[in-house]
Amino acid sequence: MTGSGAKTLRWLLPAALVLPVVLLLASLNLGVYHIPLGEVWRTLAGVFSPGGTASGTPAADILFRIRLPRLLLAMFGGAALAVSGASLQAIFKNPLVFEFSLGINFGSAFGAALSLVFLGRALPPQLSAFAFGVLAVGLVLFIAGKSISQIVPVLLAGIIVSALFQALLSLVEFVANPYALQALIFWLLGSLAQATWADLRVTLPVVGFGVAALYGFRWRLNVLSLGDEEARALGVNVKWERILVIAVATLIVAAVTAVAGVISWVGLIVPHLVRMAAGADNRKVVPLSAGFGASLLIVADDVARGVASFEIPIGILTSVVGLPFFILLLRKSRRIWQ
Amino acid sequence: MNVRAGGLVFTYEDFRLDIPDLTLAAGCLTSIVGPNGAGKSTFLKCAAGVLAVPRGTLFVAGRDLAGLRGRDRARLVGYVPQEPAFTFNYAVLDFVLTGRAAFIPAFSSPSSHDLKLAEESLHYVGLDGFADRTLLDLSSGERRLALIARALAQESDILLLDEPTSFLDPRHEVETLALCRRLADERAKTIIVTLHNLEMAVKYSDAMVFMKGGRVLASGPPAEVLSEALLRTVYDMDMKIVECAGHIFFVK
Repeated sequence: MTGSGAKTLRWLLPAALVLPVVLLLASLNLGVYHIPLGEVWRTLAGVFSPGGTASGTPAADILFRIRLPRLLLAMFGGAALAVSGASLQAIFKNPLVFEFSLGINFGSAFGAALSLVFLGRALPPQLSAFAFGVLAVGLVLFIAGKSISQIVPVLLAGIIVSALFQALLSLVEFVANPYALQALIFWLLGSLAQATWADLRVTLPVVGFGVAALYGFRWRLNVLSLGDEEARALGVNVKWERILVIAVATLIVAAVTAVAGVISWVGLIVPHLVRMAAGADNRKVVPLSAGFGASLLIVADDVARGVASFEIPIGILTSVVGLPFFILLLRKSRRIWQ
Repeated sequence: MNVRAGGLVFTYEDFRLDIPDLTLAAGCLTSIVGPNGAGKSTFLKCAAGVLAVPRGTLFVAGRDLAGLRGRDRARLVGYVPQEPAFTFNYAVLDFVLTGRAAFIPAFSSPSSHDLKLAEESLHYVGLDGFADRTLLDLSSGERRLALIARALAQESDILLLDEPTSFLDPRHEVETLALCRRLADERAKTIIVTLHNLEMAVKYSDAMVFMKGGRVLASGPPAEVLSEALLRTVYDMDMKIVECAGHIFFVK
């Protein structure tokens, strides 16, 4: 990770941007109803050629109403979670911070569940998810108080707030009717299966905007990651820029969580992997995290619907696969955060 | 550009920094000395904008520090902290580039001009060939130089260095202070350092400031202010000033 950092980037960055697109196209034929790749291409070409339509054949129906939305959600969701993780780690000067350890995950999930159970579809669930996501981070910051740039107090505050919102979430499940409850539980475990165009119309633009904003901010993250005192001495308005990053990171996580439920660990694992491969410079970490986060979630979703006769919730998958992987990484390269 | 404190009072818990009137001359190397807890670092942090001071109490180049926006202040004053915690293991060049923050808009990245300045700063402090090494690959002394290089990339005329020689071996201690001296002589920078080593302070500074309990007890050129009586008051112990072969030593 010395001089090689700049050299690896030359192929790593284009690879990170092309990989999710390739994976998405390659994943379109996967699923219970097998559609040969050739037919996938013909159908896609038919739609995008002048005068083409999306409907008609069962293949077209499955592709456009089921597979494309869920794969797009996987792609944007993975990018959102990984980029928000990378950004939050930088501004908190804390490599163990991500949407989960700041309570954003369960705050947003509670908000979305509340909205879905009591308001139905009257309002987009993303709205309430964002409101409670913000409330959760706000609580974490309030509890951590002046120790905000220390690792342990922030993590402890995050645990407290996560526990609170998990409890509130159980309360919502408790009062929900059995029919809603089943859907709710499946969604909470993390699932892309319920992705519809109606959901994506809100989530994709929000994620696109948020990731683009954090990408624009990527170099500034280097400065903020030096800590309060140094960043201030270098001329940065630490307080406002930190609030800005937290708000955008919360926004994109909430937009994804409202539709896909709680998908953990992506925001922690992907940025760390990227730092190990390409160094700590956030000018590389942010775009690489976006690309590899998106790829990871597409592959995870392929596995979720491909390996068993039933669909495995993707949140369970990322946790089960991600955790031991992360422990391994921790052991291998402690020096990243020493 | 000089630094002037006029009626500066800063209180933190039961500590009180109180400097009615102090001017640190432009283009000079001034060392601030005194026992632990004297308020040396606190004063530097006030001047660096790390700690907020009331309006009309601290001026850099005649401008009220409290009235300056962050980036305007950072273009006037650079700050080199004591060995900070390096949470993320940046490449040395990327680390030095963060010194350009005051010149780069928030949603932007360093230009080739910024890169050139960062490389020149590394060259000036003697870290040629270290650009691609990472911070944790460096020795303590090299890291200190990287911190100074970052402050140089900031292009401020005033540089504040908080104990730049702590934890350094004698050779790196001398090299670091010689570098500070060169910055004052060659680039006409106003250098303000806090130090514990009195011999080094006498040897390298144009002026010394003696602090204790948040107050300034004496200031001026070393030859004029140094006395055994002053040292006794500042450090609460007897020290003998011995001159030998053109050097001044302090016998404790």
